Amino acid sequence: MKILSFLKPVSHKKITIALVLSSALLAACAMSTTSPDGSEDVRGKLVALQQNPDMRTHARVELRDAEAAVLLAEQPLGSGEVALADYRIYMADRMVEIARAKGQTRLLEAERVQLSEQRDAARLAARTREANQARADAKSARSSQQNAAALSAREAEEMQQQIDDLEAKATERGLVLTLGDVLFATGSAELQGGTNQNLEKLVNFLKQYPDRQSLIEGHTDNVGSAIFNETLSRQRAESVRRFLINRGVDSGRLSVSGYGFERPVASNDSAMGRQQNRRVEVIIENRQ
Amino acid sequence: MKKHTIRQAAERCSFFITVLLTTLTLAACASAPLPPTESLNMASDAIANAEQAQARRYAGAELEEANRYLENANKAVEAEKMSEADRLAKQARVAAELAMARTEVAKAAAINREMGRSAKALDEELQRQGDQQ
Repeated sequence: MKILSFLKPVSHKKITIALVLSSALLAACAMSTTSPDGSEDVRGKLVALQQNPDMRTHARVELRDAEAAVLLAEQPLGSGEVALADYRIYMADRMVEIARAKGQTRLLEAERVQLSEQRDAARLAARTREANQARADAKSARSSQQNAAALSAREAEEMQQQIDDLEAKATERGLVLTLGDVLFATGSAELQGGTNQNLEKLVNFLKQYPDRQSLIEGHTDNVGSAIFNETLSRQRAESVRRFLINRGVDSGRLSVSGYGFERPVASNDSAMGRQQNRRVEVIIENRQ
Repeated sequence: MKKHTIRQAAERCSFFITVLLTTLTLAACASAPLPPTESLNMASDAIANAEQAQARRYAGAELEEANRYLENANKAVEAEKMSEADRLAKQARVAAELAMARTEVAKAAAINREMGRSAKALDEELQRQGDQQ
């Protein structure tokens, strides 16, 4: 009752004023809970960027600035401040776009590092391949060199073997092969019938080394006149030459001389010495 | 005596009026809007930077927008709408900054494309060499 009596004196006029004031306050309240139109769009764009890990990495500062601008744009404004709201939204929107662009630029720059790393890797691979190729080339060259060396060593060995077989003597003029007088009948320039092993070996040798010139020299002992002996020695050398040509040796490689008893290799005083002096020497010249 | 008092009162009154007028005049002067020089300068600088970076070629629309805002800002200054001019100048600046940022994206993308092309060419070249071997 006391309370009612306390309320009673309040006049109608005062109630009206209170109502007007409170409704005005409520209206102000209602206005302050709404963000300006368009701010949601900007917020949406910003959120999308914020959720992109690349953008978070590369545009951290710009996103923070944009966030501040968007927050400002979301500030509620009175109905009379549409221009300010539009301005704030514009600024926020452009700052979001700037953040996006800067993030994209930095992302591209980061990719560039990767690209150049890739390129370097490709170059390195190329160089490695080249180096490997060069190494392989060198190796094969070396091995072919070794092969060549081995080959020539083997050839030399074979040749030595043949020379040994020929019982030839290496001199500075070349290989000297001495065919004894057993080839010929006494006083005759004709080769004895049948095959002579030394001559067969000589044919083989000359065929195997076709680039060598040969000199066939006839020698005699001092029995008989010098002219006779020279003619005989020459004819015997010619016989050997004919034999070789008949066995397929190119005639151009063979030259002939007869020295008679001018160049003895032993004393003509003994029978044995004279026998040694009666001979045909085949000089196989050293390769030029 | 009475006359004297009236005169004194009149003098005091005119003094107050003078003081009041002076105050009003000063107040009017103080609130006379100044052009947003700083914002305008910053906008001009941002536009110049963007132009320097060839924004006309890579982000022409954005640069155009910045120029338009700056123009409007200057018009607002002439119309003595200084707070509007300030906002327009700031919009011009942010637009120019966006033009700059987009120019940089375009340039960076062009460089990457070129690098990608040359890396691809190199790869193909190596592939050929590899095939030859």
